[in-house]
Amino acid sequence: MALRRVHRAMTQDITKLIVRVSMKDRAAFDALYRATSAKLFGVCLRIVNNRGESEEALQEIFIKIWTKADRFAVSDLSPMSWLIAIARNHAIDVIRARKPAATDIVAALDVADPAPGPEALTVAGGERERIYGCLGELETDRAAAVRGAYIEGDSYTELAERFDVPLNTMRTWLRRSLMKLKECLER
Amino acid sequence: MSLLEDMDPAGGSDDIVAAEYVLGVQSGEERQMVAARIENEQAFARLVDGWDSYFAPLGAAYVEVTAPISVKSAVDRRLFAAETASVAPRESSSGPLSSLVFWRGLAAAVLAALMVYIALPYLRSSAPSTGERLVASLVADGSGVSYLAFYDDRTNEVGLSRLTGEPSSGRDFELWVIQGQQPPLSLGVIPAGRTATLPVADPIRQKVVSGALFAISDEPAGGSTTGLPTGPVVAAGDLKPI
Repeated sequence: MALRRVHRAMTQDITKLIVRVSMKDRAAFDALYRATSAKLFGVCLRIVNNRGESEEALQEIFIKIWTKADRFAVSDLSPMSWLIAIARNHAIDVIRARKPAATDIVAALDVADPAPGPEALTVAGGERERIYGCLGELETDRAAAVRGAYIEGDSYTELAERFDVPLNTMRTWLRRSLMKLKECLER
Repeated sequence: MSLLEDMDPAGGSDDIVAAEYVLGVQSGEERQMVAARIENEQAFARLVDGWDSYFAPLGAAYVEVTAPISVKSAVDRRLFAAETASVAPRESSSGPLSSLVFWRGLAAAVLAALMVYIALPYLRSSAPSTGERLVASLVADGSGVSYLAFYDDRTNEVGLSRLTGEPSSGRDFELWVIQGQQPPLSLGVIPAGRTATLPVADPIRQKVVSGALFAISDEPAGGSTTGLPTGPVVAAGDLKPI
C-alpha cells in the first residue's frame, strides 16, 4: 500500500545514505542532512550552548561528514553513533578553543593510572544499553560527572569546579569511574 | 602501571585516554594530540570507537532541534559552489603551465556550454524520459482528500486537480515525490484552488518518473520546514505513463 511505502521511505537506512555520501552522491547527502541534522543540531546546542556558534558548528560537521564519509566503513560504530561522535567531537573542540582552559597537561603527568588495566582491552559489541546499568553501579555523583561530561562536554577543569574538588582528584575520580565502567560493561 | 604509560603525555593507559577523549574532558591541546593518534594508530582508533559505542545510548539526551535552512545552504555553497566555480581560478593562480591548462579548460568549457545550448532542444526530445506524460490518482483511506496529478516532461510542471478535501485553515497541503527507498523530496506547497500547477525544479525532475510515488502531506501554513513531511499523508498514488 502506498502509505506503507511513504513510511518506509522516511525511515530509510542511514547506513546506506552514508555509504552513498562516501561516493559523493549529493542526493544522498541532502537526504542524510534532512534525516539527521535536527539531532546533530541538538548535540551542538547542548554542548556549545550558543545558537550562532551551534549553526556554524553544524555547518562544519556536515562538511566533515561529506569529506570523511568513507571512514564510516572502517569504524565499528552504528551510523547514528558515528554521526553523533563527529558532532560531539567538533562541538567539544569548539568550546575548548573558546575558553582556553589552563593547560592541565602538567597535572596529567602527575596522576597515576588508577588501576592497572589489561593492555589489550577488547571492545565487544554487546548490549548497548548496558551503559545505564553500569553507570548505576557507580556512586551517584561520579555517575553524574561521567554523564555530564558526555552530554554537556564538561572539561576536567569544569567538573573539578562543579564538584568542588582539586583538579587531580577529579581526574583520579573520573579515571577510576571509567575503569569500573569498563569492567562492568565487559562483564 | 608501566613506565611507558607514566610518560604518556595525556596520562593514563591508552584505553583511559580513549575514554577521556570520548567523554570530552581533556583540554584542547590534549584533544589535538589524541585526535592525531586516532588518525595514525588504528588500534587506538578502535579503542575510541569502543567507548563511543558504549556511551552512545546517552546520546538519547540530545533533543532534536530543526536547524535554520541557512545552515544547509551555507554547507552546499561551501562544498559545491567552490567545486564548480573554483577550478579555473585555482589552476590559473600557479604559474604559466597551469595557466595554459586553465585557458584550455575554459575554452573547452565554453565549447561544451555552446554545444549543450545548441543541442538542448534535441537532447530533450531524445532523452529517455522525454515527452513522457504521467498521471497519478492520489487517495488515502479515510482522509477524504483526493487529487489527480498530471506531469508533462516537456513543460516540467505538475498539474493538480483537487477532487475532494481541503486543508483546514492555517494548514497547507504539500506535494512530495518518492522514488524507491529514497526519502521524500518536496515539490512544494500546493497552491489553493481546484486546480494548480507546480513547477518541477531540475534535480527533482529526474525523480518524477513512472513508478515513483506522489504523496500529499498535511503541513503547517507555508509547508514543512524540516525537509521531510511532518504531518500525516492525506493522499498518495503511483505515477503511471499515459
